[in-house]
Amino acid sequence: MEERGTRHAPPVGRARDRARPWLYLSPLLVALLVFVYGPLVFTGVLSFMSWNLTAPHPSWLGLANYQRLVEAPQFPHAARNTLLYAAGMLPFATVVPMALAIALWKRPGRTSAVYRALLFLPVVLAPVASAITWQFLLDPLSGLVNVVGSWFGFGPRNWLGDPSSALWSIVLITSLKVVALNVLLFGAALANLERGVIEAARLDGATEGEITRHLVLPHLRRTIVLLGLLSLVVVWPWIFANVAVLTQGGPDGSTDNVYYRLFTYAFTFFDAGTASAAAVVITAALAVVLGLGLLGARRTNGEPVPFTRRLVKVGAARRRQGKRSSVLG
Amino acid sequence: MSSASEIAPASPPRDGTSGPRDTVTGPSPGRRPGSRRARRAVGTAGHHAFLLVAVAVMVLPVLWALATSFKTAGGVFDENPLPLPPTLDNYRVATQDFPVWRLLLNTTVMSAGVTLLQLLIAVPAAYALVRFPPRAHRAVTAIVAITLLVPPQSLVIPLFLMISHLGWRNTLPGLILPQLFGTGLAVILLRDHVRAVSPTILGAAALDGARPFEVLRLVLLPILRPALGAVSILLFITAWNEYLWPVLAAPDIDHATIQPGLAFFLTQEGPEYGPLLAGSMLATLPIVVVYFLASRRVTDAFMHSGLR
Repeated sequence: MEERGTRHAPPVGRARDRARPWLYLSPLLVALLVFVYGPLVFTGVLSFMSWNLTAPHPSWLGLANYQRLVEAPQFPHAARNTLLYAAGMLPFATVVPMALAIALWKRPGRTSAVYRALLFLPVVLAPVASAITWQFLLDPLSGLVNVVGSWFGFGPRNWLGDPSSALWSIVLITSLKVVALNVLLFGAALANLERGVIEAARLDGATEGEITRHLVLPHLRRTIVLLGLLSLVVVWPWIFANVAVLTQGGPDGSTDNVYYRLFTYAFTFFDAGTASAAAVVITAALAVVLGLGLLGARRTNGEPVPFTRRLVKVGAARRRQGKRSSVLG
Repeated sequence: MSSASEIAPASPPRDGTSGPRDTVTGPSPGRRPGSRRARRAVGTAGHHAFLLVAVAVMVLPVLWALATSFKTAGGVFDENPLPLPPTLDNYRVATQDFPVWRLLLNTTVMSAGVTLLQLLIAVPAAYALVRFPPRAHRAVTAIVAITLLVPPQSLVIPLFLMISHLGWRNTLPGLILPQLFGTGLAVILLRDHVRAVSPTILGAAALDGARPFEVLRLVLLPILRPALGAVSILLFITAWNEYLWPVLAAPDIDHATIQPGLAFFLTQEGPEYGPLLAGSMLATLPIVVVYFLASRRVTDAFMHSGLR
């Protein structure tokens, strides 16, 4: 009791209040400094150097690594492909998993729990294993995809061997994992949405479409932006595993991307300098895209709209459509 | 966004099977309760059709891999997806010729360590950022968010040199600690969940005399449990499926993890697809168990969500 009283003593309390956040934040800041920012600076320094990782010391090279990146055709080509990957992946990170998560959330119960559990399975399959699985499923001769396609009159295709379809095949394969993961995360965001209000709106005669539009989607707006941006970061290890096992960047470099390029420089050619230069370019480009995205997200999302006001919106929408509540009317 | 609401299965217009509704409303257009019930039935059918198609697409590759892991060596390339007759040969090869159990144990310890450490670091940080942000909280948030953009591949060379100098190769600290570079993701996700918790509840606890740490432990953590479940699943699986770092940090077969271990099936003496898929199923099983244990918590949240 006595101790609690002293908390209100101004000088001591204020100093403690000011120190408190740093007490809670310091483990995080130390970890990030040691395992992210330190290595990042080191990578930046290495990008100006020539080093094959086995020589005792790196030697100074200046901007030659960057020059090599820009002038050789592979890296710009890989950068273009990377944009295609990102664009192809976006709906699978946002709209598709959101629709599934809303559908699951609308009807809670045992059936939805089973659906939810099954929808998550692609994430748990080991990356190498799922890549091998798809190598079989997409096989040009005996693959299940071509067998099923032949039932509908489609001729067999060499999905991964054809430069025009290889990248999109990798996108679709990887999209299963992205959808699975984001259904889970959208579900967690929806867990904070109060169900009673939805029930009230439903009793009041609001259709499911109206409930989705006016109550559920506004709640998820922040999550959509966040997961869309996060997908630009989290999908690459999955894409990387699929590319490494299935195509090695081919055919004709059609599935190459900047992350696979970086890996090739570092661990195939042991060229730490060029790999580091690629890392710097990738990091800077991502920083610009995500920085703009997060700024935009902050502008469009202030405080979440209170439920009462959203309910009024639902009512107004119904009045505009000239409907009357079938329960009350 | 409007397209998303159209995809939502309960909205009737998008539904392909709208026939039944018409037959009910046709004869008696004036009776709304009947049409509503019919529309709901159609909505239910569309709901399940939508989810079943999605589940089929998502589960098919896993089922195929599971079935093929029970096939004989010659049957792997068969067009028939069913393993007839089923055999455990692949599992025998996987567990006897390769130290799969050892690899699984290593992976479990590593993943649990990474997940626990990340949560221990991220929860207090997310709590502080929402409840008592320091004056420089924008800078702190930026420092955290920026770590999300850094491609792990660009950190691998310096981290590798770091653990080599410390003599941490083929040790647990060398395997676990550098993976803390991903902690920022946990902080950002948890921060949003903490923010969604009503300040009134936390404020009331503080007014009752609870110290900040007591508020965190006794009030916030129970509320956050579903979110923590979801986030720790994500962290655990990320660590479990991590490929690149274990290759560099623990190349020794006794200290390696299951992901590089699976690649052994591919490189040594030609690809052994059957044992590889058997090993993959053994590598997948623990995560499925973790997920089903934790997913009950996630679903619990849907029943007790009267918090706000």
